[in-house]
Amino acid sequence: MKWNVGTKIAVGFVIVLIIFLIVGAVAYRSVVRQSETASAVTHSYAVESELTQLLASLQDAETGQRGYLITGTDSYLAPYTAALPQIEQHRAELARLAADNPDQLAHLDALGPLITQKLSELQETIDVRRAKDFAAAQAIVMTNRGKNAMDAIRGVLQEMRTEEEDILKVRAAAREADARDTSWTILIGTLLAAFAAAVAGAIITRAIAVPLKSLTGVAERITLGDLSVNADVGGGRRDEIGVLAQAFERMRRSLRTLADAAERVAAGDLRASVQAQSPNDQLGNSFVRMTDNLRRQIGDMVEAAAVLGSASSEIVASTSQLASGASQSAAAVTETTATVEEVRQTAQLASQKARAVADTAQKSAQIAQSGRKSTADVIAGMERIRTQMEAIAETMVRLSEQGQTIGQIIATVEDLAAQSNLLAVNAAIEAAKAGEQGKGFGVVAQEVKSLAEQSRQATDRVRTILGDIQKATTAAAMATEQGGKAVEAGGRHTETAGESIGTLAASVNEAAQAATQIAASSQQQLVGMDQVAVAMENIKVTGTQNMASARQLENAARNINELGQRLKQLAETYRV
Amino acid sequence: MTNSAEAGKILRQRAQALAQVPLPPAADTVLELLEFGLASERYAVERRYVQEVQPLRELTPLPCTPAFILGIVNVRGRIVPVLDLKKFFELPERGLTDLHRTIIVRGHDVEIGLLADVIVGISPVPAESLQPSLPTLTGIRADYLKGVTDRRLVVLAVDRILSDPKIIVHEEVED
Repeated sequence: MKWNVGTKIAVGFVIVLIIFLIVGAVAYRSVVRQSETASAVTHSYAVESELTQLLASLQDAETGQRGYLITGTDSYLAPYTAALPQIEQHRAELARLAADNPDQLAHLDALGPLITQKLSELQETIDVRRAKDFAAAQAIVMTNRGKNAMDAIRGVLQEMRTEEEDILKVRAAAREADARDTSWTILIGTLLAAFAAAVAGAIITRAIAVPLKSLTGVAERITLGDLSVNADVGGGRRDEIGVLAQAFERMRRSLRTLADAAERVAAGDLRASVQAQSPNDQLGNSFVRMTDNLRRQIGDMVEAAAVLGSASSEIVASTSQLASGASQSAAAVTETTATVEEVRQTAQLASQKARAVADTAQKSAQIAQSGRKSTADVIAGMERIRTQMEAIAETMVRLSEQGQTIGQIIATVEDLAAQSNLLAVNAAIEAAKAGEQGKGFGVVAQEVKSLAEQSRQATDRVRTILGDIQKATTAAAMATEQGGKAVEAGGRHTETAGESIGTLAASVNEAAQAATQIAASSQQQLVGMDQVAVAMENIKVTGTQNMASARQLENAARNINELGQRLKQLAETYRV
Repeated sequence: MTNSAEAGKILRQRAQALAQVPLPPAADTVLELLEFGLASERYAVERRYVQEVQPLRELTPLPCTPAFILGIVNVRGRIVPVLDLKKFFELPERGLTDLHRTIIVRGHDVEIGLLADVIVGISPVPAESLQPSLPTLTGIRADYLKGVTDRRLVVLAVDRILSDPKIIVHEEVED
């Protein structure tokens, strides 16, 4: 039968545990019995004490009775009186304690009447002594009835004490035997347990410690890197130790595989493929990733070496071109320098022209300013014309009003002429009435009439002329109004023209400023061209230096090309 | 120079002819006429009936009178009725203005005013130039006309107008 290590340990511990359980149970039982015995002994001692006290109380009562009988004094009766309740109390206590013992109960039943008898005898003597005298009481005592009762009581109490002492002896013997049995049981059980534990420990130690020690040695060697040992030290065992040894062997083999693969990688053979034992195999996974990364990096390196080789070849070609380009650029720089000199002269000319333009623009600005002033004067003049036109209009109105006044005057004159005419007619009539003497007056009247007629005709002409004047005045008023409108329009046009001239002046001012700025810019341009010429000189020097540098660069590129070739050869030693 | 002598002779004859003072016409052969205008026609009255000429002022219309009586005026304290001849001659009315005149005529102790639009003046007319009234005129026109001068001036017969019973106003207004 093959037990694994866990079963062996469990069996050993269970045997020891069972022994200890037996010992514990025995000890417990003994302790319990000891306790019971002790309480029984206490019970017996209590019964004995009660018996003694009962007897003492009876003796007290007897003592009180005797004192009273002798003296007849009530003070000697005190012990008797005090003993009576104590007797009843002790009897009841004895009945309670002896409830579990039929023999003692029988004794108590026998004791009850005796005590009653003794107490009644005592009471009787006391009553007689009190009622009669000492002699009568002595006669009762002399009957020995009380002494007999007391002797019987003593006998019964002695029997009860003897019986309690017997019981006590039996119980003490039983306790002694129990204690002896318990001691033996504990001693033998402990020895047995110690023996069983020792046997189990030896067996388990032999089954576990030895293989573990040899496995520890194997692990130490593996730790030191020696993977050649055989870790299967279990000798075909199938318990935990065997399984552990087999696991150690598998681990060693796995490490050995990795070590072999690493050896091949070290030799430059990157084709080796290692499988990870599990997703948690850190070493295996790392090795797989390492070989993959190495493979990729070596591949990249080979490609990079090839690229480097070709690139360095190109660099060599480029640097050759650079060198020739540098000499070409030196020639171009010389040409550029000459061109810059020409441009500089042109810039100088442009600067002079710009200055002339700026002066002209300044003059134009001044002219525009005077134009603005003239426009303002024109506006003021238009305003004056407008005022005068208004004055003319007012004058026209006044003229029209005066024309109407003249018309009224003419009407008056006409009226006067008509009346004169009428007067002339009346005068002629009167002259005719006068007959021959009135002829001369008739002539005068005729003349007056013709004068009145002439006045009428004159007023007609004046009226005609006045009509013409009024027409002319109306025409003049209309002309004045139109003139006013024309002046207003002229004012507006003049204002527009003024604004335009103002805008023109502002533009001309801006143009003048721009021209000034252009002149300044041209000056700066000239200075800049000078600086460009100096810079071109510097560029020329730098170009020469560039040529030398390009040659050095060419040499360096050749060195890089050789390095690339060597790197390529090195990379090709890897088998990917 | 016969021409100048002949010319002088002609001029002298003309001067003598012009220097002849015309004979004053006889008083009974000359009619002095006061010429006035009614509407667009010219009328005249004999001067001897005319008292004076006044502007038409302060005409007071008179109720209960025929249409030809315009009203009455105050002439130097005398109350004079004013006749509108246009009513007789059926001339168009133009309304009254202060340019109208009143010709005060007198005859048969009757003084009336004739309304005239315009007073032209006094002019002597030969009596023989006065032609009798036109036969086409009948009725009141024929009654009131004295004749027509050669200047087509209608001369009114003032004495007939004044004595015409038609102008005697006697009307009673019934209450």
